[in-house]
Amino acid sequence: MSISQRQLALLLIAPGLALVAALFLYPLSFSLISAFTGPQGGVSLDAFRKAWELYSRDMLFTVVIVLASCLFTGLAAIIIAGTLTLGENRWIVGTLKALYRWPLFIPFIVAAQCMRTFLAKNGLMNNSFVAMGLMEPLQAVSFLDWRGIVATFVWKQTPFVALLLAGALAALDRATLEAGRNLGASRLRVLVELALPQVMPQLLVALVLSFVTMLSVLSVPMMVAGSQPTMLTVDMAFRINSYGDYATANALGVVTYLLSAGAAIIYLKRGMAKEGAT
Amino acid sequence: MRAGSQAMSRAGAAIEVRGLHVAYGGTKVLQDVDLDFAPGTFTALLGSSGCGKTTLLRALSGFVPIESGSIAVGGKDVAGLPPEKRGMAMVFQSYALWPHMTVLQNIGYGLKLRGVSKSDIAARVSSLLEMLGLAGYEDRKVTAMSGGQRQRVALGRALAIDPGILLLDEPLSNLDAKIRMTMRHEIRAIQQRLGVTTIHVTHDREEAMTMADRLVIMNAGHIAQIGTPEEVYDRPNSAFVANFMGAENVLPLHVAPGEGSAAITAGEARGVLAGQAGLELPAGEALAYFRDDVASLDAPDAAAGEDLVVPGRIAARSYPGGLYRYRVEAAGRQITVDHATRHEPGAAVGLRIPLSRLHIFPAAQASTPA
Repeated sequence: MSISQRQLALLLIAPGLALVAALFLYPLSFSLISAFTGPQGGVSLDAFRKAWELYSRDMLFTVVIVLASCLFTGLAAIIIAGTLTLGENRWIVGTLKALYRWPLFIPFIVAAQCMRTFLAKNGLMNNSFVAMGLMEPLQAVSFLDWRGIVATFVWKQTPFVALLLAGALAALDRATLEAGRNLGASRLRVLVELALPQVMPQLLVALVLSFVTMLSVLSVPMMVAGSQPTMLTVDMAFRINSYGDYATANALGVVTYLLSAGAAIIYLKRGMAKEGAT
Repeated sequence: MRAGSQAMSRAGAAIEVRGLHVAYGGTKVLQDVDLDFAPGTFTALLGSSGCGKTTLLRALSGFVPIESGSIAVGGKDVAGLPPEKRGMAMVFQSYALWPHMTVLQNIGYGLKLRGVSKSDIAARVSSLLEMLGLAGYEDRKVTAMSGGQRQRVALGRALAIDPGILLLDEPLSNLDAKIRMTMRHEIRAIQQRLGVTTIHVTHDREEAMTMADRLVIMNAGHIAQIGTPEEVYDRPNSAFVANFMGAENVLPLHVAPGEGSAAITAGEARGVLAGQAGLELPAGEALAYFRDDVASLDAPDAAAGEDLVVPGRIAARSYPGGLYRYRVEAAGRQITVDHATRHEPGAAVGLRIPLSRLHIFPAAQASTPA
């Protein structure tokens, strides 16, 4: 019996396909089915109704937190990558280059713990301000709420976005930046008007990937801001750990998935536009 | 390209470079360069790769920091100013157009930076495009244009700000041969019409000769010779310049000065160069440089007259078109000669070289690698 080309091709991709099916498609399908299954079995939207009643505020909170984090991450990454590309002070550029990647190698949970000790009411930041005489001890407030989450996300994700952005900027024809300066543009204008528009696809991709990453982090909202409102990941963990309520947790998972899918669509559209252009 | 658009440039500015030193890390790239550019002139910086010509251009434009020296534009030292404050417009080798902008936005960018109104920018860009033969291309994306068209847009972008100084960094090297020839004439015509002081970096000898009023030949960070194309081509001041300008055949000689003339010996061949030219020759061992088209082939025992007839043997022959190209072994060297008549390889010939066409330098100086 001879194997046709088509069968051979299927055989070749079978191990990879099996892995995707076992580790991704099966749990995803299982969660989806669980989310749409009622207490008595059968298709039902009960879990979604319950998720909405209990956690609609957290849904909005999650979206706002992640979008704000993306915005600040993008700004910080632009400043870092812009300085690395257009900076003229060798000492500053060298120091920045050596330092900015460090948070990439620190897990979210460690970053969250660092932020707890840094942003707490009597944490390192406030203590430093008091020691410097910038404020009175009584004026100290805790930042361990939504601001702490945003700060941790930005701190953790900026190096990743800056790395991709700096790579994209370094790959630009340097002459296109020099041409701007030659015609009279300041370095800031060169960055904003000439360099960034050329690397916008890469920046957008880095931010989309960061959006999805931040959406799925449990440790940061749990450790930095334990109180309500909080992010959907914490709610999911709570439903399972406290109530064994997989259906509601899975419904929240579907909502998170839909949010990610929105970002993924932007990512894929970019990818297709790029392929179409080449 | 049409010539009927409005005159749009102020007179070109003068540049004075004094004692310029530039280094990358510990490597000295330019050493003690003194150079003047008169207003409205077209100067070509010519040299082989790594000679420092592009570094000189980038130092002028402010993209390379200088170690010491001064760069004065119109009497004002600009060496400490950033690129955007020097009033020089540059056309880059890669054109460096902004792919996310249209032709109008690219050319008008410098004007936008200067606060010119949108309608004035549109009018100015339109007149520039007409001059560049690209009328009606305002809304075209630069990525949808050919190499020659992009080159014109890059030139238009530089000219739009009405610069006193135009810097051209090998702008023609990415174009195919035919368009390159056309662009040479077009750039030269525009430069002459606008009167902008232009500095053109190139490694293409013919391009430099046909476009520039004046050539600056550079070698290893120094200026080897400055002069009009005729001066540099016909009267090179060193073996390097002679060799760089195409006199690639080298013949060892012995020069013996006499009464009002010099006796020249090359192996068995002898000749006498009378008059001032003979008196100026260096005495002793020397090397003569000459071009392929200067020498011709004759009988080995032909009368020398005012030439040098060096006996030799044809080692190889090729036919590049129009003339035969021979490689002749003579006086222990391989000499390339173009000649109309066909000879067979191995034949004994006399290599006839007019003495007045030789560029003769002392052997010690000439042995410097070219």
